[in-house]
Amino acid sequence: MYKIILKLAWNNAFLRLSRTLLVILMIAVSMSMMLSIQGIYDGMTVSMIDKTKRSDCGEISLYNPDYRLNKILTNSIKGADKIRADIASRKEVRAIVTRFNVEGLSATARKSSFSNIIGINLQDEIDFGQFDAFLQKGEMILGKRGGLIGSELAKTLKIRIGSKVIFSTQDSSGEINAIRVKIKGIVQTGNIGLDTTALYIDGKRLHTFLGVQESEATQIAIRTDSPTLEQDLQERYPKLDVKSLMELYPMLQQMKDMMAIFNSITFCIVMLVVFIGILGVMYVSILDRIREFGIMRALGMEYSTSRLQIYLEALFVGLTGYAAGAVLGLGALLYLQKYGLNLSRFADGLASFGMDTILYAHIEPIYFINTFLAIIAASLISVVLPLKKIKNLNPIDVIKAET
Amino acid sequence: MFSLALKNIVFYRGRSITTLLLTFLSALLFIVYVAMMDGSHHSMLKNALEVYGGAIEIYKKGYRDVGGNQYLIRDVAKVEKVLNTTEGITSFTSRYETYGLLSSAEFSAAAMVVGINPEKERSMSKLSSTLVAGDYLSENSGNCLYAGADLVKKLQIKVGDEISFIGSASDNSFAADLFKLCGVFKTGSFEFDASASFITHSYFDELMYTQNKATYLTIKLDKLNMVDEINKIIQSHLDEDLESVSWKVLMKSMVEAMQVDSVFGYISMSLFFVVIFFVIMIFGFINVSSRIREFGTLRSIGLSRGNVRKLLFYEIFILSSLAIIAATPIGAYIAYFFSVHPIVIQGISETYKEYGIVSDEIPFAFDLWTISWNVALIFILNFLSIIYPITYINGFKPIEASHHV
Repeated sequence: MYKIILKLAWNNAFLRLSRTLLVILMIAVSMSMMLSIQGIYDGMTVSMIDKTKRSDCGEISLYNPDYRLNKILTNSIKGADKIRADIASRKEVRAIVTRFNVEGLSATARKSSFSNIIGINLQDEIDFGQFDAFLQKGEMILGKRGGLIGSELAKTLKIRIGSKVIFSTQDSSGEINAIRVKIKGIVQTGNIGLDTTALYIDGKRLHTFLGVQESEATQIAIRTDSPTLEQDLQERYPKLDVKSLMELYPMLQQMKDMMAIFNSITFCIVMLVVFIGILGVMYVSILDRIREFGIMRALGMEYSTSRLQIYLEALFVGLTGYAAGAVLGLGALLYLQKYGLNLSRFADGLASFGMDTILYAHIEPIYFINTFLAIIAASLISVVLPLKKIKNLNPIDVIKAET
Repeated sequence: MFSLALKNIVFYRGRSITTLLLTFLSALLFIVYVAMMDGSHHSMLKNALEVYGGAIEIYKKGYRDVGGNQYLIRDVAKVEKVLNTTEGITSFTSRYETYGLLSSAEFSAAAMVVGINPEKERSMSKLSSTLVAGDYLSENSGNCLYAGADLVKKLQIKVGDEISFIGSASDNSFAADLFKLCGVFKTGSFEFDASASFITHSYFDELMYTQNKATYLTIKLDKLNMVDEINKIIQSHLDEDLESVSWKVLMKSMVEAMQVDSVFGYISMSLFFVVIFFVIMIFGFINVSSRIREFGTLRSIGLSRGNVRKLLFYEIFILSSLAIIAATPIGAYIAYFFSVHPIVIQGISETYKEYGIVSDEIPFAFDLWTISWNVALIFILNFLSIIYPITYINGFKPIEASHHV
């Protein structure tokens, strides 16, 4: 019996082929577009979060409690080396770096700009966040007198590889001091705050230049997957400011939330319209065959059997559309994940927002699961109204009626 | 044919209501969405221009690419003569920009120090109107410094305090002086407030040897949309070694960023359009496929394929027009209302300060031309959606259609 119902449903679903194909096409095109847009938008957010973690604060960062409000030398973490060693010994810590960051003026012979000089250990940075992957031009080395510069700062100062930059700032004795840095490489971290201001030199050189202890740091950044580490560190170091990525960059959290809201609204509107499309086709399809249902009822077929048949018809249409959409969408997403969306025409604009010129898609199984459930729901709900017609059917009247 | 189309619309209510509703919603959504997108872009641009920028700026060729004191404008008076005779300019002023270190008793900070003409600057930028403490500059302010609120905070000084300045003069010699903080401004532009400070041009002239010299001249126009025409006129009157550059070039990054944002906005909207297009097409198709016999009869009594096409076009024309007539004033009113009373999202400027957002307000743009092309696009999409149903129905021969089951 069920086999016959299944066959009937399948045949009827594709009885009016053009109509059914239009619905399938609608689901497939809208679904693949929606998945691609969602993947690209999520890819942008994921990439920004990833680059911010890798270039700056990791998952957690520690500061002197006054530093973030007043970035002066005295507001550094004293004994940062010991704290670092202590934290690094924890098994949940994947990588850790200490940095010393001070604000000042970078100048070439012709141009000047505000900047931050950041003392780093290059190998630590590479281990921490694949810092070498940020290299845009030149070499990833600091050397004795060399340094790396943020891509936007390099543009402002019109710097090329080999150019010399004089960085002036106040040292620990309160005097204005200057240091010469030969640019070895230009880095684009995707973190706009760093790309527009950062000048990286060796940490030891910066400590000597500023006259501060090597054990001092302005930031200790940690890579971890542990959700409890932040709280543990807050308890262990109550005198330090222990912050997570999202606390340090509330904009990223807001962006993430806004993307989620936008994607949800888009999803709901698209699914609502898809539902209207399926409803229209199913409704007309059932009305077209109302006499057929009347005859079947007159022959003894129960309402529940007709209902099952109609549900199956709707599911066949919806699922075929879903399958086509999933294949198209997955194809588009895989393409966008591998080759990205090339927006190099807007390179300057994107760079000024800390974004890459090629945007790569992010793929989550949840995209497909949500769409699958939504299309199943849309297909099943779309036949509720036509089913009412069938339920209230008087077989005699229907058979007598003109089509 | 028109009255037949009207009758059909009334008779096939389901299809008519769905088409009306979807067209209405898509037109409304499009008008409001584009108004919001354009409004936020205009606001970003306006803020950037009003805070400190100019619609057009004049530089010595090479300054923007290479920089340095050899690329200063050395005869400002001559350029001013050109500008005085150019139509469409509201005001203009010259600025001498330099970078140096400002130090208080305890703290130092890198800063941009700009020599300005205080009175001219009033009409050029938001500097005077964003005063939060002390006084704005006047021609007789002497060594008074007018600094950004975040810079003042960095240096931990207050109005009346002295600040030392170290930089280099226009002849590349060492320049140092003591300034007195006379006023503090806060434009809301994070980077600007944390780095900019101003002093009278006349005082700077002596310190930096900048008599009749300027880094650039900045120009405000009566009508911003005339920028390209006026820029051309100015350029044609300038010496060969000078260049007149419009905001479109000066703010290339911002313009591109807005274009990218628009691209994403239109991509998002296109998704809705594609789905709505399909649904309208499906309903149109269902409608014609349930009327095959009717069309067969009409063809048999003498209607041509062209007449059928005309009939279906009239139907979609009437439905689209009704929906758009309803949606346009509502959408236009929403756009107008929020252009006058912008949406305020508290804290958005603080969160996005690094991106140059200086206001919590999101104003909409009310532009009749934009609204017109928005609704025209919806109209075109609706017409496109009926092409397949027309092709389908016209594929039948009259007799075949009359006997269709």
